[in-house]
Amino acid sequence: MPGSQQIERLYDAHAAALFAFLLNLTRAETDTRDLLQEIFVKLAREPKLLAGVRAERAFLIRLAHNAAIDLMRRHGTRERTKNDFAAEIISPFTPASDPDEQVFRDELAAALGELPAEQRAVVHLKLWSGRTFEEIAAALDIPPNTAASRYRYALDKLRGRLRPLYEEIK
Amino acid sequence: MKPDEFEQRLSRQPLRKIPGAWRAEILAVARAASAPCHASRVTRHNWFGTFNQQLATIFWPHPKAWAGLAAVWIFILAVNVSLREPVPRRAEKSAPPSPEMVVELRQQQLLLAELIGPRETRAADRPRIFKPKPRGGRAEILAA
Repeated sequence: MPGSQQIERLYDAHAAALFAFLLNLTRAETDTRDLLQEIFVKLAREPKLLAGVRAERAFLIRLAHNAAIDLMRRHGTRERTKNDFAAEIISPFTPASDPDEQVFRDELAAALGELPAEQRAVVHLKLWSGRTFEEIAAALDIPPNTAASRYRYALDKLRGRLRPLYEEIK
Repeated sequence: MKPDEFEQRLSRQPLRKIPGAWRAEILAVARAASAPCHASRVTRHNWFGTFNQQLATIFWPHPKAWAGLAAVWIFILAVNVSLREPVPRRAEKSAPPSPEMVVELRQQQLLLAELIGPRETRAADRPRIFKPKPRGGRAEILAA
């Protein structure tokens, strides 16, 4: 079945990046899995979705972002994003063998959790997907200036929160 | 904009990997969803999903406020319905009176007429005849 092969190809090419992005947004593995499944089911049902799309990754990031925002709205997690995510232990990072590094990763995960979802999405795409502000803007359907300003605000918050720890273990 | 040392440090943090078992599960669900036998169900689901999304867009950012408003309206309607007086029923159609009953009613009518006597017109019902009085009442008083 050619459609099946196409889905497998898409999964192998993009699922890891989408997983990291969605996990950073939702901070819940079950939600991430549901969203990932929702995206691939959508792609399987509507193979023409990707017809004429030049940047597959950007298109899929947009799908993932919209799906995550919808899920958060459905769950009413706006307040949860601010208040509870920081308390959750689900980290988007791999565990570190060095205890100092682990502390830093935990703090970073908590600090990211305190950011609004919109800022967290931009930070993730900039730092861990290596996207430019133009690409982020296209993926999230926002102006490039908005993407840049969200990134600056988010980075200032992260810097303020992590500076003492960062200076200590630098 | 060049990333500073802090940004570089952040970007070096390795992200968690996607669980390997998910691949088979997610692809199996995706394949099942794309099967043609599900086409009609999918269409219905999509239509329903779109409808749900539209509703969510309308009612989202304050779902509790909308629910509260709906509850108030339901309460008002319930009170309104419970306080409404019963609608007077139209006279139900009954069978025409029997001839015996008609005769008896006539007899009772005649008896009543005899008991009451001839009908007199009440004073209030009588036509008033205007009789002009002399206007000289004041003059008479003066003359006396």
